[in-house]
Amino acid sequence: MSATERHVARLDYAAGAQSATNFARALYDLTAGFGKVWVWSTLAWQDIKLRYRGSVLGPLWLTLTIVIMVGSMGFLYAKLFHMDVKTYLPFLTVGMVFWQMIQSTITDSCSCFVQSAAIVQQVRMPFSIHIYRMICRNLIVLAHTVVVIPIVLVIFHRPISWEIVLLLPALALLSLNALFLGIILGMISARYRDVPPIVQNLVQVLFFITPIFWAPEQLGRWAAVSQFNPLFAAVDILRSPIIGPHFVPYMSWLVMTGVTVAIGAVALPMFSRYRARIPYWV
Amino acid sequence: MPHIRLRDVHVAFPIYQGASRSLKKSLVASSMLGNLSKNEANNRIVVQALNGVNFDVEHGERFGIIGANGAGKTTLLKVLAGIYEPTSGSCVVSGRISSLLDAQAGLDPDATGRENIIMRGLYLDIHPSVMREHAAEIATFTALEHYMDMPVRTYSAGMMMRLGFAASTCIMPEILIMDEWLAAGDAQFIGKAQKRMEEFVERSSILVLASHSMDLLRRWCRRGIFLHHGRIQFSGDIESVIEAYDDFVHRNSGGEL
Repeated sequence: MSATERHVARLDYAAGAQSATNFARALYDLTAGFGKVWVWSTLAWQDIKLRYRGSVLGPLWLTLTIVIMVGSMGFLYAKLFHMDVKTYLPFLTVGMVFWQMIQSTITDSCSCFVQSAAIVQQVRMPFSIHIYRMICRNLIVLAHTVVVIPIVLVIFHRPISWEIVLLLPALALLSLNALFLGIILGMISARYRDVPPIVQNLVQVLFFITPIFWAPEQLGRWAAVSQFNPLFAAVDILRSPIIGPHFVPYMSWLVMTGVTVAIGAVALPMFSRYRARIPYWV
Repeated sequence: MPHIRLRDVHVAFPIYQGASRSLKKSLVASSMLGNLSKNEANNRIVVQALNGVNFDVEHGERFGIIGANGAGKTTLLKVLAGIYEPTSGSCVVSGRISSLLDAQAGLDPDATGRENIIMRGLYLDIHPSVMREHAAEIATFTALEHYMDMPVRTYSAGMMMRLGFAASTCIMPEILIMDEWLAAGDAQFIGKAQKRMEEFVERSSILVLASHSMDLLRRWCRRGIFLHHGRIQFSGDIESVIEAYDDFVHRNSGGEL
């Protein structure tokens, strides 16, 4: 496509048309936005660079933060839960690394459009770019924290299996989830400014009731209940390929696929219907 | 060929008051049946910013927009730039478009001058590698060579403006949409900026310029419209549009405009 054609497609809109064209425009936004890898990846890197500008360790702080947290929590909770540090610490490390990504993706979803208000109101670009930027930023952060996992595995002599390759589809599935979540939370938060603090508080609470720093088995006969917690499923599809599955293997994949389909079914119609309102809201 | 077609474009602009921005108000209102609370939550002002605007601009044309403050000029430019989608009607803009609505907007104070140039490129759909080639030229033009790697927040207001202006005008668009004439700055810079701006405009295929300066409109535009309360009050060649606007201002002087 030449530059001109692209712009024609981008601006050739007729308001008041049927929802079919609205939907087509929303899909175009999502695919064209994704195609602009160089835009959202550059912006995401810029975000990281700015966050650590002037600090000596820079993004290494991301790595260090995880080390400090796991190091201090690991021994204490192993004691409190009467668990072997050799099993508990790797479990905690893997869980925390991925939980941090999930948590910050959820809270960042709320700010993805509001944060880009200056751009949204000055130039035309696919709205989805702001969501891809947010997802990419969180994946970059993950790349800095994930290095702690192999170190811990080596220290505690934990073998890894072929299942490690499942990390890739798991990250892809969660990224798709993040896209839908970015649409839903990003748009609602732009319209209703009370939503971001509500979400932040909720996520904080969910952290404690989700088996991340405690194992689902500790619930005894209620353990299976946690299997249906979507946040557990999200952590589990990333955690079990590394340190082995809990009770029902692959159940979390099922739950997570279901969740993705469900929030996608909300996000896509919502994006089609209200996408054009975003510049008025931010 | 680049062109612009506007057909019966309406834009209704909801202004959310502090109250209706809150989720609680909306939830409470929808759970109660009383009309009163419902009104309170929907306590928003809808501004009809554009009201059935029609016009075409063809390749090679220079198009001016005149109107008092609040006439809908900026809204119209944002519709042309593709930022606002019309509430009803259709707007077709075909061609590589660049909207210089506010050259300084979007500068990140914490990023360096060089990084801001790259980011401006991203917003204008220009690849960082292309933008990097232009960085040297921008640095020379703005005389900011020694400041390129310093955060923009350390710049003076004038330096920021120079950077924003130069970064926005380094790539030629087919369709240029401008809210007021961009070139400004201190005495030294303004001459250079003026020249760059003129080149920029001359090489674009279509110019749409909204301005309060009749001299500027006379100089650059052949044709135009006079907007009032979101409607086209008069359209035609630029002289007659300016005349109609002047008449209107005189008739209404003393009264509210």
